[in-house]
Amino acid sequence: MAKLKVVHYINQFFAQIGGEEKADYPAELRVGEIVGPGQALTQQFGEDAEIVATIICGDSYFNENLEKAKADILAMVKEQAPDVFVAGPAFNAGRYGVACGTIAAAVQEELGIPAVTGMYVENPGADMFKTHVYIVSTKNNAAGMRDAVKKLAPLAVKLGRGEAIGASSQEGYMPNGVRVNFFEKERGSQRAVKMLIKKLADKPFETEFPMPDFDRVDPNPAVKDIAHAKIALVTSGGIVPKGNPDHIESSSASHYGEYDIAGVMDLTEATYETAHGGYDPVYANEDSDRVLPVDVLRDMEKEGKIGELHHLFYTTTGNGTAVASSKAFAAEFSQKLKNDGVDAVILTST
Amino acid sequence: MGSRDYMVITNNPLVLDRLKETRHVVYRDISYEEILREVRDRIHEGHTLLSHPLSGSVKPNETPYKSIMISEGKGEVDEASLKLIENAIQACRKFIFKSDLYEAPVYDDFQIIDLTLLESGMASADAG
Amino acid sequence: MRLEMGHIYIKDIQFAAESKIEDGILYVSEEAVRAVALEDEKIKSVSFDIAKPGESVRITPVKDVIEPRVKVEGRGGIFPGVIAKVDTVGEGKTYALKGMAVVTAGKIVGFQEGIIDMTGPGADYTPFSKTLNLVMVCEPVDDIKPHDYEKAVRFAGFRVAVYLGELARELTPDETKVYETCTIKEGMEKYPDLPRVAYVQMLQSQGLLHDTYVYGVDAKKIVPTIMSPTEIMDGAIVSGNCVSACDKNPTYVHLNNPVVHDMFEQHGKTFNFVCHIITNENVYLADKQRSSDWTAKLCKMLDLDGVIVSQEGFGNPDTDLIMNCKKIEAEGVKTVIITDEYAGRDGKSQSLADSDPAADAVVTGGNANQVIILPKLDKVIGTLDYVTKIAGASEETLREDGSLEVELQVLTGATNETGFNKLSAR
Repeated sequence: MAKLKVVHYINQFFAQIGGEEKADYPAELRVGEIVGPGQALTQQFGEDAEIVATIICGDSYFNENLEKAKADILAMVKEQAPDVFVAGPAFNAGRYGVACGTIAAAVQEELGIPAVTGMYVENPGADMFKTHVYIVSTKNNAAGMRDAVKKLAPLAVKLGRGEAIGASSQEGYMPNGVRVNFFEKERGSQRAVKMLIKKLADKPFETEFPMPDFDRVDPNPAVKDIAHAKIALVTSGGIVPKGNPDHIESSSASHYGEYDIAGVMDLTEATYETAHGGYDPVYANEDSDRVLPVDVLRDMEKEGKIGELHHLFYTTTGNGTAVASSKAFAAEFSQKLKNDGVDAVILTST
Repeated sequence: MGSRDYMVITNNPLVLDRLKETRHVVYRDISYEEILREVRDRIHEGHTLLSHPLSGSVKPNETPYKSIMISEGKGEVDEASLKLIENAIQACRKFIFKSDLYEAPVYDDFQIIDLTLLESGMASADAG
Repeated sequence: MRLEMGHIYIKDIQFAAESKIEDGILYVSEEAVRAVALEDEKIKSVSFDIAKPGESVRITPVKDVIEPRVKVEGRGGIFPGVIAKVDTVGEGKTYALKGMAVVTAGKIVGFQEGIIDMTGPGADYTPFSKTLNLVMVCEPVDDIKPHDYEKAVRFAGFRVAVYLGELARELTPDETKVYETCTIKEGMEKYPDLPRVAYVQMLQSQGLLHDTYVYGVDAKKIVPTIMSPTEIMDGAIVSGNCVSACDKNPTYVHLNNPVVHDMFEQHGKTFNFVCHIITNENVYLADKQRSSDWTAKLCKMLDLDGVIVSQEGFGNPDTDLIMNCKKIEAEGVKTVIITDEYAGRDGKSQSLADSDPAADAVVTGGNANQVIILPKLDKVIGTLDYVTKIAGASEETLREDGSLEVELQVLTGATNETGFNKLSAR
């Protein structure tokens, strides 16, 4: 069988160009070169695959010039026409992990070339991309390189050959929400007995089916005096002033917007729209009050049902936006809301 | 709970035929999933779910019939009922639709099974 | 309670003029077993066939699978309250014919499910491809109601299994295993330092074709209760369940309940296996609440430290499973649950119809929606007519080359929720 062609993506640090001071290093293609961790990968590939080119890009450069970097790297990969694309491993390097996830997902989705990366489970890139590309779970620093390539290389070969990919526990990738059957060595009842023995002894055990994530928030006590309360509006429905002045992304938003509605009685087709790319925008664009009910709250303000409507609203698009990003946005603007003396928030979603 | 304290939401003509004299039967000529939605709407109005919406091991989209018991009376929206019915509606989508692929006599069997599942719930309700 | 289980290994099954077991070969007089099956006037005719592991044979639609046993010493008989008179079983001496099963088949309802392939990819998933199977296809009298037909086939299978078990009464077992449990007080004294554990078994109990019987009692009419774990080995629990082939428990699974057997392996070593708790899976929500309240209460009254909870069926029982788990955990009793998944053909859907963070220790029997291609096999025992109309089958089911494209859910026992198999998912 012919060796599979692999293009390998790494950052400036693993290419031994430099640390943070060189993080603005633009994307560079080195055809025929095996760089840094590419050596360990090559060794692990054996006769199955070879790295035909290495792409190096600084982490700051990638993240700060996202669209250009992505386009440039995609063009480089396309030119090499590999059977499989490998990024990283990034271990616990946050920006590197996000870059690996971003570019691996883009190669897969836009070029149709299978891609795989690896990182530590707590790397923010993991949560953002584990449902988009296979991400091999690694240790949290480069000392785990050997262990990482042991999982990364065989998975890359399988992907390159278009072979069926087994369950996450067999292949070493992070659970990606797709349930895959396989045969265990022991029958289920034996596994249950062993799990029970561990649980009884307070030893760590691993469930075979993690319950869906419950990020439950206990509701706050009811607002005592709503007629005098200051109410703010927050939405993940992407309502923005016409023209989307802050360029909030239609999906996977990287930031949120803060807009002043002092004196605004009604959101009209001429003044507001949605930036959201995850639902049919027609009705939201026609009348953005449908998502962000400014008109109704103005009425209630007038009728004395609420104290006042806060003059700022906060907005982003919930579509594909990482939970970690959403949490960070909220942590920031919640503080602002508190400082502004807001008593309660109406959070609308779509 | 007596036989007049609950109503049956169903799309099963056999259930209507057998129970209309003795029970409050709401018959709708709609799909399995639409029955679940009908029940959900009534839960929103304050009715309580009394029988499990996914009763029976015959899968949604396999059998076209579903009969569900809810309370005759209304109160506050019951969260447990709401969670069950929402989960059930979601579960429908997992199964390939094939309720329209069977030969005529098979539908009689589906109707009987749905009726007996319902009867086992009613037996509990009537006894209490 | 102390039960000695004698295993008699069956190496082959052959039809013969006289029924007997000799040198590990089961000789079956077709005439005799036919007479046993036809004792019920609701059965018009019955045909017998033998299917062996590796043969190009497909059995469908399967209703039940039963292991023949005979009670040699001690109180009661096999299938108490059903075939034998009501009497408490689970002690003394019982022989089982290992390596074989009686398989009942028959189209009880038009969407009847259940396939056992003796070879090919399907054979990897159904545990009953590994047993020598004496298959009986029962035809009912005309115009029979489904519930009468179900009952007639259920009983015919038990009668034939008991008839075959009787052939072993005077034999010497190839292997003997002893299962012994203590009373509550004895256990406390004997194993003062071991954690106290029990098995909570949820029995399918939703109505026609979804029933389970305990000493002949319909399980939907029970409140949770405790049993000695040895009672099931004499057939205290039998299946009247024909729906959801992949995750229903045939009588064979009740007799050989894997949780009971694997917990016995640890009994007196890593924990004290206190008892077997049975509960049900009724459709009426107040019944669910009562039953789960009771299982949790029993766990507490028995001072348990841990339990394993097993499930049977799809959808409705997910709610019982989660209620049991939540309430038992709330009593401070550590819980492991066994289930299976319906995650859709692509594996991306939510697997269970209910969930709770308390269920942090789950064993899964795999995704029942996984698609599998079953090649055409040389011989069909039963009828294929309805295969295209059974759960998990779609309009493309019967492909041009005669192979079947189906979901795992059509295969008998494929995703069993008592942990009978090695199949899992992540």
